[in-house]
Amino acid sequence: MNTTTLDGIMFANMIRGGAASLSAKRQLVNDLNVFPIPDGDTGDNMFMTIDSGVAALRPDMDTSLGSTASAAAKGMLLGARGNSGVILSRIFAGISRELEGTEKADVTLLGKAFESGLSEAYSAVSVPVEGTILTVFKDAVNYAGARINTGSTLESYFENFLKELHRSLERTPELLEVLKKAGVVDSGGAGFIYIAEGMRNALKGEVSDIIRDGTQSVKKIDFSAFDENSELEFGYCTEFLLRLQNSKCDPAAFDLEGFKNYLCSVGESVVAFREGTIIKVHVHTMRPGDILSYCQQYGEFLTTKIENMSLQHNEIYTESKYEPDMKKPRKTYGIVSVAAGNGIKEVFTSLGCDAVVDGGQSMNPSTEDLISAFRNINAEKILVYPNNGNIILTAQQAASLYKDAEVYIIPTKTIGEGYAAISMLDTENRDISGIIDEQKEIISGVVTGVVSKAVRDTKQDGIDVKKDDYIGFVGDCIYNTSADKNTALSGLAEKLETNNYDIVLIICGENVTPDEADEINELFTDKYSQADIIMIDGQQPIYDYILILE
Amino acid sequence: MLVLFTDTDTDITPKVAKEFGYHLISMPYSIDGVTTYPYEDFEEFDAHAFYDSLRGGILPKTSGISSENYKKYFEPHFRNGDDILYVHFSAAMTATFEAMDIAVKELKEKYPDRKFYTIDTKGITIGSLNIVEEIGDLYKAGKTIDEIMEWSKTEVDKFAVYFFADDLKFFKASGRVSGLAGTMGTLLGIRPIIHMNSEGKMVNIGKEKGRAKALSRLISIVEELQEDIDKHRVIVAHTDAPELVNEAVKRLKEKFGDGLRIEIFDVNPTAGSHCGPSTVGISFHAKHR
Repeated sequence: MNTTTLDGIMFANMIRGGAASLSAKRQLVNDLNVFPIPDGDTGDNMFMTIDSGVAALRPDMDTSLGSTASAAAKGMLLGARGNSGVILSRIFAGISRELEGTEKADVTLLGKAFESGLSEAYSAVSVPVEGTILTVFKDAVNYAGARINTGSTLESYFENFLKELHRSLERTPELLEVLKKAGVVDSGGAGFIYIAEGMRNALKGEVSDIIRDGTQSVKKIDFSAFDENSELEFGYCTEFLLRLQNSKCDPAAFDLEGFKNYLCSVGESVVAFREGTIIKVHVHTMRPGDILSYCQQYGEFLTTKIENMSLQHNEIYTESKYEPDMKKPRKTYGIVSVAAGNGIKEVFTSLGCDAVVDGGQSMNPSTEDLISAFRNINAEKILVYPNNGNIILTAQQAASLYKDAEVYIIPTKTIGEGYAAISMLDTENRDISGIIDEQKEIISGVVTGVVSKAVRDTKQDGIDVKKDDYIGFVGDCIYNTSADKNTALSGLAEKLETNNYDIVLIICGENVTPDEADEINELFTDKYSQADIIMIDGQQPIYDYILILE
Repeated sequence: MLVLFTDTDTDITPKVAKEFGYHLISMPYSIDGVTTYPYEDFEEFDAHAFYDSLRGGILPKTSGISSENYKKYFEPHFRNGDDILYVHFSAAMTATFEAMDIAVKELKEKYPDRKFYTIDTKGITIGSLNIVEEIGDLYKAGKTIDEIMEWSKTEVDKFAVYFFADDLKFFKASGRVSGLAGTMGTLLGIRPIIHMNSEGKMVNIGKEKGRAKALSRLISIVEELQEDIDKHRVIVAHTDAPELVNEAVKRLKEKFGDGLRIEIFDVNPTAGSHCGPSTVGISFHAKHR
């Protein structure tokens, strides 16, 4: 096949194809874990992210390429989970931005769209790390882009794109030390390859089904969410294409900057750019009519779209598991943390968290999950504790999308950091920057060690790990290994110089027996009498012990 | 003649009471419906055994005493023609003094010439004890009741007590501390720092993580607030936490010299039922509470 133009229907199929391809390989991607323990979740995160894009492709929608790309990108933005998921959602956001308003694209425009995805993805992360999905995507976009010529087809573009994706993925261990040490390639990059393969297959007409093992909700707009008594809270998402008319103005002298300034004075989230005599506008405003009247002095409309954003917000709201019985009174501070395991979630609730969003290493929450929690709390300022390095980016994305509160991310990378920070949080008579500084300071004084069972042999940090042994590690460094989980924990405690800390919190996982926990309690109470020894029945999966030292 | 009274909620022991000439009113606690009157139902308080039983999950209840009981304490002295000064624990923390008022009113009708004075220490345990002992000093030095009452007008507010507890469940059960934020619902190593304010109520003023930091906070509060600390007693009390007490004493001596008059007491079981085991506190003469 020699396809030279891409339309909305084909692009929708390609996204479905990408989701289907990844759905069959998600476990393979999960297993590309730098640690030999079963807590990898990149495949799940990326699949759930792209699948949210698929769910946003409704049969009744406008089939132009621009609209299709935009709908899929919006879906992914809200469904994004984990770092790779967030980056994936931003790739598609960038692609959609370039394709905005287009009916069809040729291979040159597709190449440009992918370039736009690239710059959007890089701008999403404050410190881009090479050797990840970012690098893999960058290399392939540049390689395939440079080979576009007059004879190029979509198929040839994708062949080049895929060829370089594979080569770049093989190079990731050279760029990222942790991958090299673990003997794996980057999982996000691998996940992206499966998506790209699925897209290429769809292009060729090969379609497979999306395998979903979890429940999938279908989104519907619920008009009852804005009734006779509702107040316009979020305004209208207003988008239109304006053709500058010679009868009304001098298109060549049209002052786009001045026009943008006007839009910014009457609305938010302003995007406006021109292509020839067409001005593309996206603005959130309380009074769309004013803007339309103003714009008509320069020309006439080609398309308009005005959506009540309360309905969009409610789409998220009705799916939320935090369905409130009634509107809670607005409070000054709200606290949201992320945790897995009933015992750990109880700990955070008892520490004063208003919402504990389910999630952790092996199941990251989506942007939407976090936004639901924000909405339910109804606070002026919301502090978010991701408690996992792979959730921070999602939290930031949720924070930037949520407009009804000031949302601050306290960048806790572990459960231990979350516990330490929240337990000392004091919001009374304090300004927010002081609170955040103090919380970050507290985080820097915490060590979180983990004991977990290895699922494969490996040699890392000079330590030989045998399958079914228990490894003790902190961050991405393995400290010790033992056939017995309690020995592994006490060995790890020794290496971490537990005798120098005041607080020793031990969170027991679901596979720890009461006898094992008792033995640990006795051992630690005896050996580390200087400290408070606190045992918690966390019931978390995978991590047999979480050792928190403060 | 003036007869001095105080109660067991001030942590005073019969031996110390005797040194100053105090008569002792016993404030009871009960476990599983069995009521115990300290130093009436036992001679020596076995603090370790008592607080260990609290660690094991026992949660005692406390109660006031009846008007009849008060009459039994006071009437023999009125009958003798003596007046009474009762230096008591904080009235803001209990309803027991209503029963006392009824008893005193009845007794005054019977003995119209007798005088009954009270000084509210606006404290409990060692927050009261420091004042009880100072008044004992004045009494032994032959000060008149007017002089003692005058002294109390300014000095009661100058004895500060700060402490921290190990486990909040005892405070929560008693409901006697204000300002305990919801963010401290479980133990988890967090130590609320509590003091008695000038209204005689327990107020939470902050928190620290871990015993070491909490103790350091207490010491720095003493340093900051103290006034003429070396001219008065410094009392350290605990609920079965001897290591913490030793550390506190060591730190106090480092700061204020070996000559500091430090006394160590066990928190009485009735007040201790509200703060739970492994609590430690310091009472000292301060600029203000």
